[in-house]
Amino acid sequence: MAQYLETISKSVIEGDMTSVSEGVQAALEAGIDAGEILQAGLIPAMGEVGRLFEEGEYYVPEMLVAARAMKAGLERIRPLLMHSNVKPAGKVVVGTVKGDLHDIGKNLVAMMLEGAGFEIKDLGTDVSPEKFVAALKENSVDLVGLSALLTTTMPMIKSTILAITESGLRERVKIIVGGAPLTQGYAEEIGADGYAPDASRAVSLAKQLIG
Amino acid sequence: MDKSTQVRDWWSLEIVGMPGFDMAMKRVYAWYQNEILDRPPIRFQAHNAFLEAAKEDISKLSKQEKKAWWFEVETQVELFEKSIEGHHFHGETFPVFWPNLGPEVYAAFYGAELEFGEVTSWSVPLVRDWDEVENLKLDMGNQYFKKIEALTRYALERCPGKFLVGYTDLHPGLDCTAAWRDPLQLCLDMIDNPEGVERLADIAIADFQTIYDHFDAMLKAENQLSVSWMGIPSFGRMHIPSCDISAMISPEFFRRFGLPILQREVKTMTHNIFHVDGKGVASHLDVILRVPEIHAVQWVQGVGDDYPIMQWLAFIKRLQGRGMPVVVDLSKEDLNEFMEVMDPKGLFLWVATNNEEEEIEILKRVEKWN
Repeated sequence: MAQYLETISKSVIEGDMTSVSEGVQAALEAGIDAGEILQAGLIPAMGEVGRLFEEGEYYVPEMLVAARAMKAGLERIRPLLMHSNVKPAGKVVVGTVKGDLHDIGKNLVAMMLEGAGFEIKDLGTDVSPEKFVAALKENSVDLVGLSALLTTTMPMIKSTILAITESGLRERVKIIVGGAPLTQGYAEEIGADGYAPDASRAVSLAKQLIG
Repeated sequence: MDKSTQVRDWWSLEIVGMPGFDMAMKRVYAWYQNEILDRPPIRFQAHNAFLEAAKEDISKLSKQEKKAWWFEVETQVELFEKSIEGHHFHGETFPVFWPNLGPEVYAAFYGAELEFGEVTSWSVPLVRDWDEVENLKLDMGNQYFKKIEALTRYALERCPGKFLVGYTDLHPGLDCTAAWRDPLQLCLDMIDNPEGVERLADIAIADFQTIYDHFDAMLKAENQLSVSWMGIPSFGRMHIPSCDISAMISPEFFRRFGLPILQREVKTMTHNIFHVDGKGVASHLDVILRVPEIHAVQWVQGVGDDYPIMQWLAFIKRLQGRGMPVVVDLSKEDLNEFMEVMDPKGLFLWVATNNEEEEIEILKRVEKWN
């Protein structure tokens, strides 16, 4: 079994989508449980990708192909996971706040969280506080990720947190924030639960908050 | 030499509110040469200040209305005129109007659509399939190109005696390629189809000189200098090369995809000031500075954790050590400490201030810096 999982993991790290897909199929045919493939093959591989990114060995292109390869493997086992007891690591809503159309950082965070086993609902860019609140009401969400790239749109993160608080949902969700102009200090000042400087550290933070 | 073809290398401009124009230009030229006259040049404006100062509140407008507002030639030029009315420009703070439709306007000259926000715009990716690369053609008759021309023309009519007119923010090369494909897609392309990326980047630089020359000729015909959003003029050909997407890629990828384009981009310029947008771009600086036509760099430490400048002193000293003139953006609160530990040689200070009195006082302080 270890050999199958090792092959899957290595292929994710190398960003080889075809090998991951074939590796997952081979593992399933060998009788390995889909949950095991996820928990012991795909997710640890993305953890390693995050480590390589943080250490400056991987850059965004390498991270993206790894996330894509992971997703190819995930697609293979998703129908089986629905029938097993495997639960997502948590449900997360992400979005770039109102007035801001930048999505690179937010997309990377969403991909890495998905790679870590979280279920993601991506609201896109230019998302109003009301839309965030509505998404929280519709889904049983554990974590919200708010992103802003501009100093001019950064205050909208605070407004969104305020809207979530006023809607009475604040106690039910953790909120993490990120984007170039943000800092840990600002995150604390506006009442966020955490700040992550990059996608990899957003995963660590999410695990720490709702793990 | 025929007078009409004679290349002038220095001329004077009368600007109300900036009586020290000639001396300011001398300081700028000394800086280009990594020298100092009486003091380093100072611009009393923070990097990207134009983003912060929304000229009119357009937040409530629809997408279409926002675009229409950005396209209102008279409004854009006259709002700028209003913003400088009665203002005295100290140090090397040149009043410059540059036509602005956002940083991805170069990509839009080939057909990419722009979506407008309050302070900037974003392009909609144009090349979804590699087959579409064949359709990419510079269109000097398209709405964005014509609008930049119209903004330039109207500003030139209004500027005499009041302000300089610059050219728009041109990002050819890899940043344009990213706008056409979408930045994350381009990152994937670098692994999936590197030859395709090279081909696309080649198209994104092929017409750069034509575009640059077109606007440069419009400005020079009206006795203008060569200047853009950075507000640092040249009597020759000033350009601001950059490669923001390089912050996301490895040195190997930058050498393969970014460097060859940069080498072509800077070729015909007399003054290239490379815009180093944060530590991600700075990680490629050794390679960038091997391009001999790069005359200076603008260091932007960024915001958030990367602000303020005091954590970047070693980096700036390294640039000075290489004889590279560098623009630094610092707060007035940091100025004394900065001057205590730094050699002024090669520095161009950008300091945001609240009023004229502060500017005059800072100038006096900086004059004593040696």
